[in-house]
Amino acid sequence: MIWRLKVDTQHNRPSPSKFWNWFNPVGRQTSGWAFMLQRVTALGLTFYLFLHLIILGQLANGPQGYDSFIALVSSPVWIAGELLVVAAAFLHGLNGIRIILTTFGVSVTRQKQLFYILMVLALIIIVIFGIHMFTA
Amino acid sequence: MSANVQSVSTPRSGENSWWYLVKIVTGVLLVVLLGIHLVVNHFIGQHGLLTYADIVAYYQNPIIPIMEICFLAVVVIHALTGLRGILLDLKPSRPILQVMDAVMVIVGVVAVAYGTWLILVIKSRG
Amino acid sequence: MSEKWNIILKVLRQKQGETSHFDEYKMDADPDEYVLDVVERVWAFKDRTVCFRHACHHSTCGACGMRVNDAEKLTCITYIREVTRDGGTLKVEPLRNFPVVSDLVVDMGSLYRRLEAVGARSVLPAPEAEIEKPPSRWSSDDEQYIRLADCIECGLCISACPAAATSSDYLGPAVLAGAQANGLKLNPELLNMVDSEDGVWRCHSAFECTAVCPSFVDPARRIMDLRTQIFKERVGGLFRKA
Repeated sequence: MIWRLKVDTQHNRPSPSKFWNWFNPVGRQTSGWAFMLQRVTALGLTFYLFLHLIILGQLANGPQGYDSFIALVSSPVWIAGELLVVAAAFLHGLNGIRIILTTFGVSVTRQKQLFYILMVLALIIIVIFGIHMFTA
Repeated sequence: MSANVQSVSTPRSGENSWWYLVKIVTGVLLVVLLGIHLVVNHFIGQHGLLTYADIVAYYQNPIIPIMEICFLAVVVIHALTGLRGILLDLKPSRPILQVMDAVMVIVGVVAVAYGTWLILVIKSRG
Repeated sequence: MSEKWNIILKVLRQKQGETSHFDEYKMDADPDEYVLDVVERVWAFKDRTVCFRHACHHSTCGACGMRVNDAEKLTCITYIREVTRDGGTLKVEPLRNFPVVSDLVVDMGSLYRRLEAVGARSVLPAPEAEIEKPPSRWSSDDEQYIRLADCIECGLCISACPAAATSSDYLGPAVLAGAQANGLKLNPELLNMVDSEDGVWRCHSAFECTAVCPSFVDPARRIMDLRTQIFKERVGGLFRKA
């Protein structure tokens, strides 16, 4: 039996159009997942940073504008979104520490173990934030 | 074929150790500053600074506006140099890279200026 | 009598200008034979048009690198047992990030040219080679001995690297590892080459290269060492000048 794919002999070359391959999880190592996590959170946090700055412009409109905005985003759905940002920040930051350490030759042969330790740490922090944010 | 040989002999210098140094220095600073930012905004009082009055009061401490402006500059630099690193993976042509760099400088300066203005406005309302 | 497994071998087929497709072959395989042996048997008994590269069959020439069930493998030393099971399938594809010449054969010219450009050596004087338990002191007599470099230029690392997928100018793990073995201190030209967009800064620490390397080169560690060397030269250089 034969599967036909719509690709030509050029398909195997490196190309900017293959940016999806950054996020292709097939056959990846733990460290490959770390790379994906770092890149996804980087893009997400950059987007959020500018969104955040624009929204905080509401502060200039005085108490009415800002406090009604806060009332709007106090529903659980918005808080869950906020927790997602907090999670991304800690995952990106703690994995970033691993990348900096390995850059200077520290723990290069133990980078996987270091990744697990830092991710457990991130998870603990995220859970603490989550519990605090969702309980009165 | 010849394109490959050329790319070996003349490496493009869109990124180098100084860009990377900026990224890791701001990255380390962010672990501290963003940590403070998140704790302050979620753990002070009951659930952080949730009302307009709380925020204005918070900014009356003179150290806070200075810290927040530094935080803003560092986070914007880290975000833009990081984004630049990702875009460089897409092998932009030199003219496109120049436009990209110009846009990033403008975005960065505008973001920091706007944020600083906002911080000073909030402080002045105290 | 050796064990016998029934496996389905799926080979990605692709001739110049054609669209690619998988051909399936039902094969009997000994779990303790190698993936390359089974591919070779397809060519010998089932389909003479299957193209693949192979030479030494003992992990020295680096010719038979392929993607086996979505992971880069040097097929001459990859046991069937490691990658599939009795009744299972074995998906064999060409390495990624190199242009396909035919079926499983890719053009690795860019890798070889870059290795040459960074002056990667295929043999080193024994005292310069990285070995597991080096003597505490090399005698001047040892200088006369040379050792083959670990890298067999198989290209698995470049196929596995996520950063190599988008930029054809990226030097890649094997080449950077070759540059590292030369050291940057006395090589300002090499320093400029690797301290660049297409050098060590294209690496984003996915460590996939080290995971697939069949020859213990550990390219990721060498790239990290290059970065440390670069900082020593660039940042340390500022202080030396002052």
